[in-house]
Amino acid sequence: MRKNNSRIDMAFGSFRRNRMAMFCLWSLAVLYGMAIFADFICPYSYQDEDRNYSYCPPTAVEFRDHGHWVSPFVYQRDLDFDAVHRRVYVTDLAKKYPLHFLKNGRLFTVDAPGRCYIWGADARGRDLFSRIWYGARISLSIGILGVAISFVLGLLIGGIAGFYGGWVDSVLMRLCEMFMMIPGFYLMLALRAAVPENFNSVQVYVSVVVILALIGWASLARIIRGMALSLRERDFVLAAKALGVSDITIIFKHILPQTISFTCATLMLTVSSYILAEAGLSVVGLGIQDPIPSWGNLLSDAMGIVPVIFAPWILLPGLFIFIAVMCFNVIGDALRDAFDPMFNEGL
Amino acid sequence: MIPLLSINNLTVAVGEKILVDRVSFDVPKAKIVAIAGGSGSGKTTIALSILRLLASPLRMTQGSILFEGQDLLGLSAESMRRCRGDRIGMVFQEPLSTFDPLFTVGEQIDEVLAVHTKLSKQERYKKVLETLSEVELSDPPRAYKSYPHQLSGGMRQRAMVAQAIVARPSLIIADEPTSSLDVTLQVKIMELLARLRSKNMSILLIAHDLGMIAHLADEVIILRQGKMVEKGPVSKVITEPHHEYTKALIEAFQ
Repeated sequence: MRKNNSRIDMAFGSFRRNRMAMFCLWSLAVLYGMAIFADFICPYSYQDEDRNYSYCPPTAVEFRDHGHWVSPFVYQRDLDFDAVHRRVYVTDLAKKYPLHFLKNGRLFTVDAPGRCYIWGADARGRDLFSRIWYGARISLSIGILGVAISFVLGLLIGGIAGFYGGWVDSVLMRLCEMFMMIPGFYLMLALRAAVPENFNSVQVYVSVVVILALIGWASLARIIRGMALSLRERDFVLAAKALGVSDITIIFKHILPQTISFTCATLMLTVSSYILAEAGLSVVGLGIQDPIPSWGNLLSDAMGIVPVIFAPWILLPGLFIFIAVMCFNVIGDALRDAFDPMFNEGL
Repeated sequence: MIPLLSINNLTVAVGEKILVDRVSFDVPKAKIVAIAGGSGSGKTTIALSILRLLASPLRMTQGSILFEGQDLLGLSAESMRRCRGDRIGMVFQEPLSTFDPLFTVGEQIDEVLAVHTKLSKQERYKKVLETLSEVELSDPPRAYKSYPHQLSGGMRQRAMVAQAIVARPSLIIADEPTSSLDVTLQVKIMELLARLRSKNMSILLIAHDLGMIAHLADEVIILRQGKMVEKGPVSKVITEPHHEYTKALIEAFQ
């Protein structure tokens, strides 16, 4: 049955029937929701540290006390050293700290000196749960912003090069090739090296976004250029010209929208590659700087083998990178299938 | 009286090869002038030259095109763009591929008004509906909301005529407007075009169907391999053809 709507509506209809993709979309919605409401959800701020709790393992939230159900609480934990001078945390059953809900504008907190580390603590005794969600703000937004910039650049430059052809095309494509001939990660490192060291965190964030955008636009521009080159020969482009529509309107209204199936899918795949690229930069210490968390620099704590063996929970940010990247990839693939007319016919 | 469109010695070449060779003709006001000839005789090239839309290897090597007393070749690219669609409308051969598949027919007719007029959205919508009923599309609001693939061939062609006339141009170039349609629809579209003449619009009709030309046009130009072989009032050319090629064309249609 063919409904009375456009190709784009049909594509989104078929996307909605893809359960895997919808699941990933909702998962991403949860991740973004957590990032946006990090101030409310997290018990601590991202820089709230307590050196007495270095690499404190995840705290168990207790619901039962002497065989009775009670409101949730946590036990006090004290640092001690075992026979080979390794850190161990001893649970002090005598000291209990109840969890307070919706206190001080936070979902749950524990009164000092009690600490509640539901996903463990890092080397400086900062709550990993809180740092992961504050870090999500950086990691999840940086991909989107970087993609937004590189897609605007790629679509604009590719569209103009393909539509006009001739020397415009040659100049713009040589420019693209200049960016493409350097391997992505080394280009990132080179660009990052060009950024002054005394930047504050906002400036670093912006520079990472710009660096990501600069490495991605060129390959997109080349593909869009190829599509524009063939689309400009289509009758409706000639018709638009014959109706007096200006070149720039033709590019934006009649050429670029035709590439939507490719653009949508690539957009999602590029977001995931940018999340990975940010993590890569941060892991080697060139991205977002401590104390501001990002999934990448949280993971850089897990670079040494010793912390990974004794505090495996510090690998958790990697799991979230994995989830986010996978969700974006699945959605990208699903969008590509949804826009593919052959695939749609089968449904 | 000055003709609406006056073409003198138009020559179009690609490299050394001459595609249109010194063609001259006039389109008077409120008349239908037809260009006839076989495939590759340069009919469409002439149409595109008037709009200055020749694709790059093709170029105009000499000639002048006067439209409403103005030399189109002397206009800036921007003034030429404003002229297209507003003062000269164009109807293409294959309406399915000349409409953008991503927009509704109404939106695309509206685009012409948005480009050339300062009318508000409501005024434009009203005008598009008026034009759609003028070309006798039943249920104009529904046609407005339809995507090109949802209309039948005849309806699409009417919609394209509506797109060409919505800005009230004084000249319409119709490039084989009926050749993608079946015979009964051809007659309907021909009647529609004939009515436009009574609304003070001139039509430059490009066709290979002499029957249609005899029925519709006031004057006819016969082209053969880029050269004008015969020109004159339709009744005269059809009844007393001079050139061998014209005779052959007429015989082919009898």
